[in-house]
Amino acid sequence: MPTGESNFGAAVWAILRKECRTEWRTRYGLNASLLFALTTLTTVSFAAGRLGDRVDLMSAFLWIVLLFASMASLAHAFVREVDGHTLTFLRMVASPAAIAVGKLLFNLVFLLVLEAVTVPLFFILMDAPPPQWGRFLALLGLGSLALASTSTLVGAIIAQTRSRGALFAAVSLPLLLPVMAAAVSGTRNQWQNLSVRSELGLLLGFTAAVLGVSVLLYDHLWND
Amino acid sequence: MILRVVLLLWIAGSLVAGFLWAPLVPGLGPTTRVLYFHIPSAWITVVALAWSMVHSILYLKRKRLEHDDHAASAAELGLLFCIVATVSGSMWAKAVWHSYWNWDPRETSIFFLLLIYGAYLALRSSIENDERRARLSAVYSAIAFVTVPFLLFIVPRLYFSLHPDTIINTRGKVDMDPRIRTAFFAMLIGFTGLFFWILNLKVRLLRLERSRAEQAAV
Repeated sequence: MPTGESNFGAAVWAILRKECRTEWRTRYGLNASLLFALTTLTTVSFAAGRLGDRVDLMSAFLWIVLLFASMASLAHAFVREVDGHTLTFLRMVASPAAIAVGKLLFNLVFLLVLEAVTVPLFFILMDAPPPQWGRFLALLGLGSLALASTSTLVGAIIAQTRSRGALFAAVSLPLLLPVMAAAVSGTRNQWQNLSVRSELGLLLGFTAAVLGVSVLLYDHLWND
Repeated sequence: MILRVVLLLWIAGSLVAGFLWAPLVPGLGPTTRVLYFHIPSAWITVVALAWSMVHSILYLKRKRLEHDDHAASAAELGLLFCIVATVSGSMWAKAVWHSYWNWDPRETSIFFLLLIYGAYLALRSSIENDERRARLSAVYSAIAFVTVPFLLFIVPRLYFSLHPDTIINTRGKVDMDPRIRTAFFAMLIGFTGLFFWILNLKVRLLRLERSRAEQAAV
């Protein structure tokens, strides 16, 4: 069904554009996340000082900063719909899968923008040694994809609970521990000029598994 | 009734056997006996998680609240046994490794299960509507089901490189003394019976509460 596919693609594209436009109108989520990243980064940098060649600590701090900043607002994509009572309308015009993919892409774009600001600042403040660009960017990209795919799914659940945002970090974290472990170990390895192939494989496998299970679960998310 | 008495006698018997009849492992001394509580608890932790996840997936397929009762009760019990396993393991680690906690691979994986249980139950407690709670927590359970194997796969790789001690493998579980083995497996069966007994009670209680609420509504 070529028309079905193009409809799906058009719906995803429309949702992505709508998300970006709503976000850009207030920049509430982005501002919150950027400030959160900056606060965490300042705290880490201030408390730990210049770490020089301690790349093991630096890779851990980098991912903690990114994780905290993303936890601050990745649930936002769905919570905003529930708060604004717009989820029902959205579901009338698009399929659950299209909504999910649109929100996922938005979360991914959001993370990449966040990283474009946070990562250079991290390198400056922490006096980090230059990375192996290819491996570093691959880790950052796949790590973001894994973060975005998990938190989109959890965000869709959390938006329907009583506490909304408050639970998001607590509920996402256990699921994201493998991502954190792989990303930290990979980032450390690229600084030590070691292979990151198994970490990249793990991140890719994790993302594929979460996306696969998402496809099966999205129909169950809004049944009432 | 008879089953309950048999279970009680079975566990009491295994306990006596473990303490009075089975010998101690040389080098471990009296700490050997943690074996009879700790490993069965860890076993139940995993059984409860699997039970909870299978019933969550069954709920998504069939939409019957009984499956949600099973999933929720198994998760609550699993959390309890997980705490027992974590605390008893930590006490044993203090006695033998001289440290309560050092992110040994097994400590990491049990702590991870603790977090999963905690998150699942916290999620449940924040949703009021029965159907919605069942559906959303089942979805969460299914995601956890997919992500758990990744951690179990990555943890040994990561932490063996940091802590190259293999002390966990030198506990001699393979060449266990036959009497210790008998008491240990008896305890394992006893714990499994205990788990399914309490699970059954909890599920029946939830069913009664729901039917009473339905009657009150009518």
